[in-house]
Amino acid sequence: MNFELDDDQHAAAAGARAFFTGSASAADARRALDGGAVAPGRKALADVGFLGITIAEPAGGAGGRVLDLAVVAEQGGTVLAGPSLVTAGRAAVLLADQPELLAALADGSTAFAVLDGPADGSAPSMDAAGADTFLALDGGALVVGSGEVTAGTPMDATRGLASVRLTSRRVLLEDAGARWVTARQVAMVVLAAEDLGAAGRAVQLGIDYAKVRTAFGRQIGSYQAVKHALVDAWVGVEQLRSLVWWAAWAADSAPAELPLAAAAAKAFAARTLERAAETCVQVHGGIGFTWEHDAHLYWRRAKVDRLLLGDEAEHLDAVAELVLAGALQR
Amino acid sequence: MDFDDTPAEAAYRARVRGLLEQHAVDLVHLDAGEEAADAAQQERALRRTQRVLAEAGLVGVSWAREHGGRAGTLAQQAIVNQELARARVPTLINHIGLGMCGPTIVAHGTPGQHEKYLARLLRADDVWCQLFSEPASGSDLAALRTTAVREGDEWVVNGQKVWTTLAHVADFGILLTRTDPDRPKHAGLTMFVVDMHAPGVTVRPLKQMGGQSDFNEVFFDDVHIPDSERLGEPGEGWRVALTTLLNERVAVGGGGNDLGLSVESLAALAADRVPRLPADRQVLARQAVGRAAVAALANRYTGYRRYTAISRGGLPGPEASAGKLAGTAAAKLVADAGVRLLGEDAVYSRGPDGDDGRWQRNQAWLPGIAIAGGTDEVLRNIIGERVLGLPPEPREDKTAPFTMGSRS
Repeated sequence: MNFELDDDQHAAAAGARAFFTGSASAADARRALDGGAVAPGRKALADVGFLGITIAEPAGGAGGRVLDLAVVAEQGGTVLAGPSLVTAGRAAVLLADQPELLAALADGSTAFAVLDGPADGSAPSMDAAGADTFLALDGGALVVGSGEVTAGTPMDATRGLASVRLTSRRVLLEDAGARWVTARQVAMVVLAAEDLGAAGRAVQLGIDYAKVRTAFGRQIGSYQAVKHALVDAWVGVEQLRSLVWWAAWAADSAPAELPLAAAAAKAFAARTLERAAETCVQVHGGIGFTWEHDAHLYWRRAKVDRLLLGDEAEHLDAVAELVLAGALQR
Repeated sequence: MDFDDTPAEAAYRARVRGLLEQHAVDLVHLDAGEEAADAAQQERALRRTQRVLAEAGLVGVSWAREHGGRAGTLAQQAIVNQELARARVPTLINHIGLGMCGPTIVAHGTPGQHEKYLARLLRADDVWCQLFSEPASGSDLAALRTTAVREGDEWVVNGQKVWTTLAHVADFGILLTRTDPDRPKHAGLTMFVVDMHAPGVTVRPLKQMGGQSDFNEVFFDDVHIPDSERLGEPGEGWRVALTTLLNERVAVGGGGNDLGLSVESLAALAADRVPRLPADRQVLARQAVGRAAVAALANRYTGYRRYTAISRGGLPGPEASAGKLAGTAAAKLVADAGVRLLGEDAVYSRGPDGDDGRWQRNQAWLPGIAIAGGTDEVLRNIIGERVLGLPPEPREDKTAPFTMGSRS
């Protein structure tokens, strides 16, 4: 057994950290709420190769694994980057036998989004607000088409959420139900990875502040009430990391474990990011409740992500169903 | 990253499984949570079980050969643990010795102590206990008052220990004492190996809230210990104790092992009970089972990460405290989900229809786990200060002399 990233993955994480730190920030997420562009944006993500991490090399991708994508997605999460690598990872699974579309996904020349819910009026779907080409499950078939986009007032503008009504559609694959399910599970893993990054950063913001802010004559981080809240949030982040890595590994190497691992990771991510972001706001006190502070941007990400791709209740129920059916017996 | 056995690990697992089958008649087998009827008989059977396993090479797998071990990997030790659980072999009787006393003797003992104790410890020829906590020093361990006074080549010990697991069956213990009350509290401590059968040692079992008697109070009245049984230098007892405590937090939950009944036990119970519930209650029960399973899996896989780190030469660090903290929380979710699945049957400590009360016992046992080996609160302080770098609370007791008269 070996449960650690290898040297290449550590290097990829460091590279991704450098890229995202230089190309996106919570400040961009704040500007996006006022109508600014999502950063780093599809073009920059394509140029650095992140949209094609899991796309085969002949189709213009890097031929990497879901774990490679998760490692990069975590770094994107720390700066609330958009559009989401969830969309790239999910579309790559759906388009596995469509080399031309895969190439257009990898090089960013086409703006894809994957629709949840009915193709004639989808549920709020990630990155749909900036997309022009949509993938949907329509009567059991995988279809691609263009559509009419209706974006709501965003809670977290980096997610690009919008509802779409397809106005044209072309069938890519009949009986696509199984592939659709797998793609959604991979999407859950990548979303959990982005949440891992966001949660880690939110906790770190709280830790940093608790070391410098003083009250009643000493640093607030010395008080157990503050310290223990931060510790609990941090422990949650480290536990989430284990589930994300396990689930990504399962997507690559143990498909039979993916349904359980993906549901577990997504359920745990929802709760973990929420606690991390709420703790971040609380530790900062009044300043953490202001528009100018970054805390609410992580809080917004938490409040939105926990509802995307199925909420905690859905995934806990899925875990229970699998566990009752014997999924723990490896 | 790979959770599957390598070919070498798979071969090792097959060999372990074969050995456990070969020696099955000499081993104790119990279902998770099952209790033996006769305690004295069970003690003998558990000692025999560990001896048989040790002779088969399945105890101290990752210990050095010079200490009686097999110089194997932590992955091999993990495989043995999994196979023992699969074969329903209960926790080894010398688990305190294996998890805490042994590593402390390895790190701080003399070659003579290594030779005298370690091989016998692995075989459970001697059972060990850890004599740290006292009535007035639990979380604040360094405030302990049991004294050891040097007289020639010996030390004379007086005082009382408490919450001492296995003391009632133990042959030896590692004993933390105060040898210099004029120094600050952490600096005046010294560790010894004590013979639990020595004159002046009195063990009185305590009854726990769940009704069992796993732990004890231990009195020392003019107990003589040869200086050759000192572990580490005089005044270095705190440093020696930290070795024990770090290993304890790996042994208790830090390695991702289950505390109390496992999530697999919960799955089996739920498969039986959930379908019998009304539909609206099934929804709620599944949420509880799902939440417990996710927490247990998160802790298990975090333990795998820690195993990987340690097997690459890392030492158990303060991060292991996070494993015990999260492991305790997960165990409580599993326990509570199990008891609630029993519904009204759980108002009795033993159920009517073939249920042996294991979930009720588990429920009554877990509060102790949140206290033993570092309370949840102490662990949060350790993680906050040593891992996250948050400032400690102001403390005067670390620098002032621990004068026995002014202690509070």
